[in-house]
Amino acid sequence: MARSTPTYTPIRNYAIGILLSAILLFSDIAYGTFTPVRGFVNASALYTQMISSGALENISNTFYSFKKNRNLLNENKELKEQILQIRTKDFIERKNRDEKKKIINFQKELISSLSNNYIDIYKIASMDLRNYFCCSTHRIFLQNTKNASIEKNVPVFAGNSYIGQTKNTYIDFIEVILFSDASHVLPIKSNSFYCDARGKGKPLLISCTLDQTNQDLPNQIGDLIYTSGLGGIFFKDIEIGFISGVNAVSNNEIEVLITLKANPLNETFYAVLSKEADEV
Amino acid sequence: MKFSNHLIILSTIFLGFWLDNFLNPLTIKLFVELNFGFLIFTYWVFALPEKLQSSAALFYGLVIDLFFSHALGFNMLFFVATSYVIHLYVFRFRIFSYFQLAVFFSGSSTFYLACKYLLLSPYNYSYILLISSFFINAILWVGIYLIMRAFRRSIFSNL
Repeated sequence: MARSTPTYTPIRNYAIGILLSAILLFSDIAYGTFTPVRGFVNASALYTQMISSGALENISNTFYSFKKNRNLLNENKELKEQILQIRTKDFIERKNRDEKKKIINFQKELISSLSNNYIDIYKIASMDLRNYFCCSTHRIFLQNTKNASIEKNVPVFAGNSYIGQTKNTYIDFIEVILFSDASHVLPIKSNSFYCDARGKGKPLLISCTLDQTNQDLPNQIGDLIYTSGLGGIFFKDIEIGFISGVNAVSNNEIEVLITLKANPLNETFYAVLSKEADEV
Repeated sequence: MKFSNHLIILSTIFLGFWLDNFLNPLTIKLFVELNFGFLIFTYWVFALPEKLQSSAALFYGLVIDLFFSHALGFNMLFFVATSYVIHLYVFRFRIFSYFQLAVFFSGSSTFYLACKYLLLSPYNYSYILLISSFFINAILWVGIYLIMRAFRRSIFSNL
């Protein structure tokens, strides 16, 4: 009886395959050689997804419009009655509108006086949820329908705080690296310390390592954290989160965990500054 | 093997990785990472060893890396290496029980997961996740094996 099974396995081809893929893997991890290729493929996939969903939406809209026509005549009658009601309300609303205009003009003046940056609003196109929940890479893609030229490393704002910065643009998409991405470093400050906080690779968490001897950090849990402005990218004194935990790393060092204020899962629209900001 | 057959196999692997992408955000909270894509790939190599050689594994890995991975070469490397091991012992595997097969293939998928976390996301490396994923993927393997075998017999009647 044979002691081993017969095989189809010429080791040379496998060795070449393993060597080749190991070289590609090393060059990608160490130097990011294929990042543009992957970004292009991701953007193309998103584009295809959007086009196909758009086509499906058009088809369903066509069917929907047939049904809708039947109801239109009835609605038309109701609308005529409503127009009469609206005319009476219109007079009151005009007054309110004049007041709102004054407020909007004031806001515009305020924004232009703060900086000369243009603020564009973009809708989220995709978020890699799998990596967001499990792994170090936390990225989102914004839909650049205006084809605006966005520079790298521009602050991105969502909800009521910063959430990250632009990393790259692919076709009509803007890649945004979130603060919680393990490769992102953000200069921050609290009332008692300055540090460079690195993303933890976990949702809404960043951390920084401090000298234990100088700090009374366990008593500062809950303290607010602000941008320090030292990186030259983000405005200073913008609240980004709070101290949520303190862990001892070694005898001399302590890790401060910071929970971020803005949750990208709750946001649909993101603001990007078109021009790179100066420190304030 | 015809190019169209390669496309069918690749699309099943692609579907597996898509399922992983779709389900893992939900299961990761329970410390479980499903590995449909990798298990489907290993099934194909196990089922058609003489048809799927190193070049096919390399090509499948490249496509999966481009669409699903954050480092080009990772799936290529593991697909080729796993393919080699399966080719080496394929006839021994044929006399294994379902339980033994499940242990081996789930073990390989756990090794794949461990390396993925170590290389691409060391902050999130977790032994609990690996152990629980091992058991879940062992159960998954049996299901994948039966479903993919039925699929192969209905699609590739000549192979």
